[in-house]
Amino acid sequence: MSILEIDGLSFSYEDGTPAIEGISFKVESGEKVAIIGPNGAGKSTLFSLIAGFRTPFTGKVIVNGDALDDGSEDKVRRHLGMLFQDPDDQIFMPTVEEDVAFGPQNLALDDIQGRVMNALRSTGTEALAKRVPHRLSHGMKKRVAIAGVLAMEPAILLLDEPTSGLDPRARSDLIGLLNGMKRTMLMATHDLEAVADLADRVIVINRSIMFDGTLADLAHRKDMLEQAGIELPSLSKLFSRLKDMGYDFRHIPVSLDNATSETARVIDEMGRKRQGR
Amino acid sequence: MGRLDARAKIIGVVVFVTVAAMLTVTELIFAALALSVIFAAFSQVPARHLLKAYAGALPFILIASVSVFLFAGIDRGIGMWARTSACVIALLVLASATESLQLFAGLRRLGVPKIISTLLMLTYKYIVLMADELVRMKTARKARGFSGGRSLFDLRGLKIIGYTAGMVFVRASDRAEKGYEGLKMRGFNFDLKTWRQTRLAAADLAFIAWFAVVSGALITFQLGAFA
Repeated sequence: MSILEIDGLSFSYEDGTPAIEGISFKVESGEKVAIIGPNGAGKSTLFSLIAGFRTPFTGKVIVNGDALDDGSEDKVRRHLGMLFQDPDDQIFMPTVEEDVAFGPQNLALDDIQGRVMNALRSTGTEALAKRVPHRLSHGMKKRVAIAGVLAMEPAILLLDEPTSGLDPRARSDLIGLLNGMKRTMLMATHDLEAVADLADRVIVINRSIMFDGTLADLAHRKDMLEQAGIELPSLSKLFSRLKDMGYDFRHIPVSLDNATSETARVIDEMGRKRQGR
Repeated sequence: MGRLDARAKIIGVVVFVTVAAMLTVTELIFAALALSVIFAAFSQVPARHLLKAYAGALPFILIASVSVFLFAGIDRGIGMWARTSACVIALLVLASATESLQLFAGLRRLGVPKIISTLLMLTYKYIVLMADELVRMKTARKARGFSGGRSLFDLRGLKIIGYTAGMVFVRASDRAEKGYEGLKMRGFNFDLKTWRQTRLAAADLAFIAWFAVVSGALITFQLGAFA
């Protein structure tokens, strides 16, 4: 059974403007799915709907076996951990460790001490345990917010623009951290380079689903990219141009590892051809 | 003082302020003011910060003092200024030397009902959000060359300030809604209670004892004066 099932989900704002229409997809346990699309495509609204913050909607949302309906929001939220775009929206307590313990304490979960320690350790924030979270850097606040979410051990992580507002170092640290987590993740983002490193699957939405597949497949769909207003990572753009110039790249790499192996293959083939002459 | 438990600071200062507010003997009122100033000097709170905060409270202190002076004479007026100042300085030190959230958490642990401490915490967070949005809005206004609204006759400037003030509330309200969603995502049940249940340390107890002795002495002399 899928850990998240969304079937025919539609939602309109109060003034009647449709925000999302007929969205259906399933996410398997352990899968990392990126939701991408232009501004106003409905990415954040989709997350709000899954978490039960937007009503009324039509369609079905089933999280870890629990269907979302009027009255089941709190139950459904127990399976979800949401990382907000701005960590200040989810940090409330006077010290980092108190903030990390906040969720488990509210939900009366067991072994709060162990949960706090594990969450702090896995986000590299042990040394900040007694610090005042509001005085930390944006990157560190994101880590604290992740620790707060992890301490609740949710079945699914919802990450809303996880890399926004981070400097390159903090961004790459965060990507490394998320990459190391063996958890089901749904991330709404514009950062395709992060998607290349993190996601197994990409869903492009612009009110409704326009594409569902891998980023490598999406990289070949220029029409789709243009229609959805999505810019490929610089690395993919470079290989796309080289391909247009006649170099024999079989696919457009989306990550550094892909690019390295594809480049090595092309160089080898070119060398062999020269030797053959 | 920053390292003391918030509960110790609250107990000590509240006891002192309660006693100082009850004093009527001029010498004792000035003794309380002197003790308050000594407390401020040892608190490690920057003097400039305290003076600035005191200056903010001064108009209210003066209104109370001048009113008493007009109706009851100069001695009572000066007494009112000294008494109010003693209380205000002690409270300013408490507020400056303690993180606001620590202070509210301390109140909760002292048994203040959860609805009050939670409301205080959320109100504080909302004020911080509003202040943040206000600064952003002011910067955005300045960045686009706006410098009006300094005179009551500058109608265009006042109109723009009115619009942007409205926007500050709308944006702060949006962010507050996000904050509420953040709380709900973490199982918030209308109680921002703290997790660690630490005991008061020797330094905390010494702090409370110091205020208890000082306040006890003041009240004893006060009662003695009427015996």
